[in-house]
Amino acid sequence: MNTLVVFCHPDPASFAAAVRDSVVQSLYAAGHQIRHRDLYAERFDPVLSAQERAAHFEDPTTKPEIAVHADDLRWCESLVLIYPTWWSGQPAMLKGWIDRVWIQGVAWELPAGATRLTPLLRNIRRITAVTTHGSSKLINALEGEAGKRVAFRSLRVICHPRCRTRWIALYNIDRATDQQRQRFLARATRAVAK
Amino acid sequence: MHALVVVAHPNHDSFTMRIQHAATAGLRRGGHTVTVLDLYAMGFQPAMTLTERAAYHSAEPICDPLVALSVTAIQEADMLVFVYPTWWSTLPAILKGWLEKCMVPGVAFVFDENQRIRPGLNKIRHIVGISSYGSPHHYVKFINDNGRRTLLRALRMNTGIRTRRSWLAFYAVDASTLEQRSAFIRRVEQRMAKV
Repeated sequence: MNTLVVFCHPDPASFAAAVRDSVVQSLYAAGHQIRHRDLYAERFDPVLSAQERAAHFEDPTTKPEIAVHADDLRWCESLVLIYPTWWSGQPAMLKGWIDRVWIQGVAWELPAGATRLTPLLRNIRRITAVTTHGSSKLINALEGEAGKRVAFRSLRVICHPRCRTRWIALYNIDRATDQQRQRFLARATRAVAK
Repeated sequence: MHALVVVAHPNHDSFTMRIQHAATAGLRRGGHTVTVLDLYAMGFQPAMTLTERAAYHSAEPICDPLVALSVTAIQEADMLVFVYPTWWSTLPAILKGWLEKCMVPGVAFVFDENQRIRPGLNKIRHIVGISSYGSPHHYVKFINDNGRRTLLRALRMNTGIRTRRSWLAFYAVDASTLEQRSAFIRRVEQRMAKV
């Protein structure tokens, strides 16, 4: 499958980066075509500008700065998001990638007179989120798992109607032992190969 | 009370900005004092940097002067008011990053002797969110109101147990009329005068 891996962590020596390396390797080994975006490494600007906002309903070809990212989205059949959960959701860098790239003409259309969006990313048949949480599963449940709902509802409705989702999360990472981290890494590596 | 109003919209003449002006006017009319942080106008950089990430668990997690200024404003406030457009069911990146960079250990929460997290925003008595949505109400509920959850649940866990929560929402903004938007702005002004 054409697989787009979007990685978001400021530290190239982080546990998240180790997970990314292992996941990418595993995807290669399983024979998938891969594109990999490291948002921090490429210094992606997460702030949607006033010009972009004003051009919200313009054709995306008027926004060359996001063209490569839009092409990634149209190309992929499987989307893998790898990030740490901060304040119960995606880090600002990754949220900014969603704000700026999942735009009208790329992710959705609003035909004249219509009240509902037309999804444009029917090519995406699978969304996988690989994430770590500082707090426990219970706390995250009480907080409402905002990040999970953004990925598996808000983004998913724009994708293929039968798009499958896969949530691979390590809770309580601040208290996790080395062994628990290694087990999680192995689990993520195995899961993406399937 | 002293209110900190945090607003996130790139255009200074947007509906969101008009809501913010109404909220601020209402609060002042109600006898409150107000500080406004306009994240776009400040040029706030929302992506946590490697330096900030490395300093996160240190004694001095604040590296950015705009964060230092924001943290001072948070610590002076009795009320936090967030005004933003909901994008992809949650906060715009600039506001999400403001939370990540300002609500750090020692500000939003502290660790007790057993390394358990304890609330740090004990001075905050009220959290208010005011947001516009492209989608209608039933659709927002179906997707989940993730921005609201982030502010009224995740952030709220770091305040005292009696902290009040309020939410003012304007749904289906793209299909709305000028009249409906003006009515909402009046409602915001009146409501904020009475908090």
